[in-house]
Amino acid sequence: MEIVVCIKPVPDAETRLRANPAGTALDGEGVKWALAGYDESAVEQALLLKEANPGSRVRAVSFGPAPRTEEVLRAALALGADGATFLEHPAEVVPDPLLAARAVAAHLGRATWDLVLVGKQAGDDEAGLFGGALAELVDAPSFGGVMALTYDASARRFTFRRSVEGGAEAAEVPGRAVLALQQAWNDPRTAKLPNILKSRRATIDKVAWATTAGALGPLGTPTTQSVGFRLPAPRSGAKMIDYRTPEEAAEKLVRLLQEEAKVFP
Amino acid sequence: MVDFSLTEEQTSLQEMARKFARSEMLPRAAECDKNSRFPEEVYRKAWELGLMNLNVPSDFGGSGLSLLDQVLIVEELARACAGMTTSILANCLALEPILIGASPEQKQRLLAPFCASFHLASFCLTEPAGGSDAGALTTRARRDGDAYVLDGEKCFITNAPHASLYTVFATVDPALRHRGITAFVVPRSAEGLSTGKDEDKMGHRASATSTVRFEGVRVPVDDRLGAEGDGFSIAMRTLDQTRTPIGAIALGIAQAALGYAGEYALQRHTFGKPIAEHQAIQLKIADMAQAVHASRLLVWHAAWLIDHGRKGTLESSIAKCFASDAAMRVADEAIQIFGGYGYMRDYPVEKLLRDAKLTQIYEGSNEIQRIVIAREQLKGAA
Ligand SMILES: Cc1cc2nc3c(=O)[nH]c(=O)nc-3n(C[C@H](O)[C@H](O)[C@H](O)COP(=O)(O)OP(=O)(O)OC[C@H]3O[C@@H](n4cnc5c(N)ncnc54)[C@H](O)[C@@H]3O)c2cc1C
Repeated sequence: MEIVVCIKPVPDAETRLRANPAGTALDGEGVKWALAGYDESAVEQALLLKEANPGSRVRAVSFGPAPRTEEVLRAALALGADGATFLEHPAEVVPDPLLAARAVAAHLGRATWDLVLVGKQAGDDEAGLFGGALAELVDAPSFGGVMALTYDASARRFTFRRSVEGGAEAAEVPGRAVLALQQAWNDPRTAKLPNILKSRRATIDKVAWATTAGALGPLGTPTTQSVGFRLPAPRSGAKMIDYRTPEEAAEKLVRLLQEEAKVFP
Repeated sequence: MVDFSLTEEQTSLQEMARKFARSEMLPRAAECDKNSRFPEEVYRKAWELGLMNLNVPSDFGGSGLSLLDQVLIVEELARACAGMTTSILANCLALEPILIGASPEQKQRLLAPFCASFHLASFCLTEPAGGSDAGALTTRARRDGDAYVLDGEKCFITNAPHASLYTVFATVDPALRHRGITAFVVPRSAEGLSTGKDEDKMGHRASATSTVRFEGVRVPVDDRLGAEGDGFSIAMRTLDQTRTPIGAIALGIAQAALGYAGEYALQRHTFGKPIAEHQAIQLKIADMAQAVHASRLLVWHAAWLIDHGRKGTLESSIAKCFASDAAMRVADEAIQIFGGYGYMRDYPVEKLLRDAKLTQIYEGSNEIQRIVIAREQLKGAA
């Protein structure tokens, strides 16, 4: 089985964010980029499926600018992906999930694949559009909030659970599908040191932007534009609780939430 | 050319070690320190991720890292918990004599199990009657047919209660002094080998330390490393390799102390402003930052020299000695900046001082380092 995982570099949780001088987008300068938590769950699911289905291969695919996009691909290789495809895009910040979906769809049209996994949403803009858009473009069924995915090789069927309000539902899809993974249900693994070293030396297949743009034609222009980017104003009014034991801290917190914040009745 | 930039590979090793240290070591550091608990689950996980046996070449299944790569990792680990780092590094220390003195057959036989599954090894040099004067050790190795019989006692041996293999330095004839010292490997299962109680230590309490007794332990000639009398040289060459990572442990402690102190100074107010705005505190931070930076440069430089085929005895001694003295000062000042809170076990800085102290003592005390530094320095002056 050929499993494709689509991943995206997002600012590391510890990096300090800043707007660009024009105030229209994130300033990429000095940002530390990382594989998003949502995407880690998708990579983990891909690796679990591969381990359960011998002979399967996992390929990580990412659309974006160098070098950060190659860096997250290397992170996926270090975790255990067998190959990586870098769909180059020249823009400093790619705010356009639809364009990303078109670029990946154009690539998938030339590749063999049985399953595409994505995170439930991007870790930065949280748009949650990419998976659905990609499914539409490649004409495959799409589901979100997927957990515990397994493959029944004889029936060529994927079965999984989906988190829904108040519980979970069981579902199955035959054949090709694009599935968006629930976050952090599968405890993503940490890359091993020898694999990190190997991933540094691995070759990443690069598709130049000119190739993708040629394939997309007029569809290669962004569909959205970011007009403003601001960080939330710093908040004040934090209340520190004095306590001696955790029990006392919890009691005081509950009382404050009830009486002052009126969060609970 | 001098180039201080790390490669992307090195940056990713550093990040991986930092992530492991923060997620696996730091949350357990205070508890293990308090209860003197040996967190085997952390060591197992470190092994699984390839953070143990850093010095074992990839031919045998190890990580085969350069010393510079190793010190980058060690600094990150030690920032979270120096005690756990000591136990993680003990395998490098114990396996180094095998890398230096063993035959190809011995290397394959002895190193492969460590890379195939989780095992700990201990380096047994120090004895109750003396550590610094290794040439005077008294553990005896008497030849008996195709084996040696070991009798004696080692003390302060890191990981000894949990180890499955011991590299042991013993003498075939005390009258020969250091020329009689011979290195052996002894499995835990050997009859007559026993370990003592886990010592109750000032710091590095997540690490285990005990005596190892040898009472008529038979060791086949096949388990001798090098020739009779090679042991002293093997031990000294081992310490030439491992001294720099000890400097990196000290550096990690100092970096942690500087980090905590800076954060606290910005947030603690006295006389209407953060204490970081009082010049007396700024001067402390400035001195601490200098000590940390200088330690890092010395550690990196020593590692780089050794990676480039130099012995680096002078530079690694300077790095270990300077970084450990610096860690003591920096941890001390961090406590001072925390004031009364710094003295409390609920805060992380007093542990750093207790942990820093060991780095001045083990793997060659700083007095011994200074003797070595002066000797090397004066050689050049003659
Ligand atoms: C927690 C811990 C873990 C350890 N782990 C290991 C291990 O895994 N394996 C191992 O083999 N050892 C280990 N050691 C032992 C350590 O390396 C020794 O404690 C150290 O080498 C000093 O030896 P000593 O304690 O016998 O002190 P001594 O040699 O008795 O020295 C006492 C004091 O005299 C000073 N001194 C000695 N000679 C001179 C001199 N010529 N001139 C000036 N001053 C001198 C020393 O610096 C020291 O201050 C460990 C020790 C500790 C505390």
